Amino acid sequence: MIAAGCDVGSLTTKAVILNNARLLGHALVRSSFNPEKSASEVMEKALASARLTMDDISLCVGTGYGRERIGFVKKTVSEISCHAKGAHFLQPSIRTIIDIGGQDCKAIRLDAKGEIVKFITNDKCASGTGRFLEVMAKLLGLELGELGRISGQATHPITLASTCTVWAQAEVIMHLNEGMPKADLAAGINEAMAARVAILARSVGIEQDVCMTGGVAKNPGVVEAMEKQLGVPMRRLRLDPQLMGALGAAVFARERLGVS
Amino acid sequence: MIGTMREAAQNLQNAFVREWKKDGGKTVGYSCTFIPEEIIHAAGLLPFRLRGIGTTSMSIGDSYFGAVNCSLPKCILQLAGQGSYTFLDGAIITNGCDSMRRLEECWRKASEDHRGTLPEYYEYFSVPHKSVDYSVEFYEEELRNMVGTLERHFRCTVSEQSLKKSISLYNKGRTLLQKLDELRFGRDVPISGEDAMAVLIAAHAMPQERFIEMLEGVIEGLGKAPSVSGGKKRLMLMGSASDDMDFIHVIEEAGAIVVADTVCYGSRTYSALVDEESDPLHALSSHYLKHSICPRMLGYYRTRLSYVMDLIRKARVDGVILQNVRFCDLHGSENGIFERDLEAAGIPCMRLEREYGPLTETGRISMRIDAFMERISTHCSSIGETTSDAARTRQQTI
Repeated sequence: MIAAGCDVGSLTTKAVILNNARLLGHALVRSSFNPEKSASEVMEKALASARLTMDDISLCVGTGYGRERIGFVKKTVSEISCHAKGAHFLQPSIRTIIDIGGQDCKAIRLDAKGEIVKFITNDKCASGTGRFLEVMAKLLGLELGELGRISGQATHPITLASTCTVWAQAEVIMHLNEGMPKADLAAGINEAMAARVAILARSVGIEQDVCMTGGVAKNPGVVEAMEKQLGVPMRRLRLDPQLMGALGAAVFARERLGVS
Repeated sequence: MIGTMREAAQNLQNAFVREWKKDGGKTVGYSCTFIPEEIIHAAGLLPFRLRGIGTTSMSIGDSYFGAVNCSLPKCILQLAGQGSYTFLDGAIITNGCDSMRRLEECWRKASEDHRGTLPEYYEYFSVPHKSVDYSVEFYEEELRNMVGTLERHFRCTVSEQSLKKSISLYNKGRTLLQKLDELRFGRDVPISGEDAMAVLIAAHAMPQERFIEMLEGVIEGLGKAPSVSGGKKRLMLMGSASDDMDFIHVIEEAGAIVVADTVCYGSRTYSALVDEESDPLHALSSHYLKHSICPRMLGYYRTRLSYVMDLIRKARVDGVILQNVRFCDLHGSENGIFERDLEAAGIPCMRLEREYGPLTETGRISMRIDAFMERISTHCSSIGETTSDAARTRQQTI
């Protein structure tokens, strides 16, 4: 039986289609103002990549902020459980997950069975989220992906004194005006991000193996900075970490269909 | 009956307050559970617990308070400054916490810019942070001063006899609330946490005589009411001030029922009765200082933990939500210690920091509550069913 998962996030919407343990298709689109439309769009793309139609899907589970507004899902599960489910499905040795999405970040600790022992999410501001990196990339005139890539060329990364997105912008502008190389700025931005989220991660208690999920996990600069901050290696997953919520939702759907 | 209590809990100047005022009655607002309502009642006045409900702007609250302050006193100041509390004839502010203590200064200062918004009777009341003999004595002296200021301002007499009568009346209310708890603690719960919260708030927003009369009816009705707890996880709400029924609604929408709480505005005021035999002011001082579970009382964490553990056992609690209003130092830090100790005792906990006031963070809050429910339900245990071998096969497949 074919199961699907759809994750409507604040910045991107993702879908994953599974047949037993086999990944049949997946897709990722930018979220629009209408969660239902985003969900339909991403599912159409995922179905096309799997050469399937909606009728082939036995069950689809929804997750993410827009999960309650997806017309074609029969069941919804929180994204915290879905990220845990997806990461454990791919890599059962994972005990700690650091998920950085578009508008929030979460740290989740699992036990050996993959059950959630503890989780925490950011409360106060946007500085530990994908939005922070988006704002900074725009400021540097870079594509989001480049922000991670060029930070490897940094020789003297800057230190951001402020963790507030708005104040950090002012600092970056000041350094830009001084002619500081973009690589040093990018590295400083990634490190500031990692330092911020590491505080959250430490509060659930770091246990290895540790992995990162969510869009920001695709930024090698942040992943490496996180490794330095926490002093542990980040286990790289075998699937786009941004799809982890949708994968977890699909695994939930698969279990619901009685496939173990 | 519960509908009437909900109305009283959802509106600042509710029908009971309007009726009281219409007959020429005077009302005194107070900020904290450390103010004995019995004294205000014995003076022939209506005690009214100050709240910050229904704020739509923080233009006044933010002007006088700093940015990193609890939003509850800010909301109260907002309402005061915009004239929503002009129905009060008096107000007593305590040093319940630093933010609440600052309300006393901020309200006074704001009234210079927003004329006519400070009640004529406006007093600061100091509460000790320990419940040892000398602090009970100090507190008793403060209560005596309060009686004096009320008598002088409102031209009334608070006799020993009237105090004893008020103590007896409020003890009756406490006994009824304990009965309501017994119903909530049972296997089949006849009342939602949202409705129970309405009852608890109404207790401090209407004349106690009317409240008791209505609560008797509510309890009688609930005795025959069907269970509303079938298949639901039983949660307890802990932490700082919470008088938001919508917040409980969001929790219960996730498939839970709130069966107990230790929050300010909730179940803090009736676990014990005031001694009716000894000197009334001494009895009140001793009761209010020695039976509080507020973390402002320094050095009594172990006592509070034991109280909480007992409540968890009695109410058959499946999980605890440790919430606090943002920037609440007292509850923010104590929630961390509670989380450590309750989790160690096998009780799942979730910490949540939020703003007091209109529920604007519903999406984020409900996502976390959903995840917590998934954690404590059997639903989540299916995550553990995968074997390492099967997982290895999957890794190769994907």
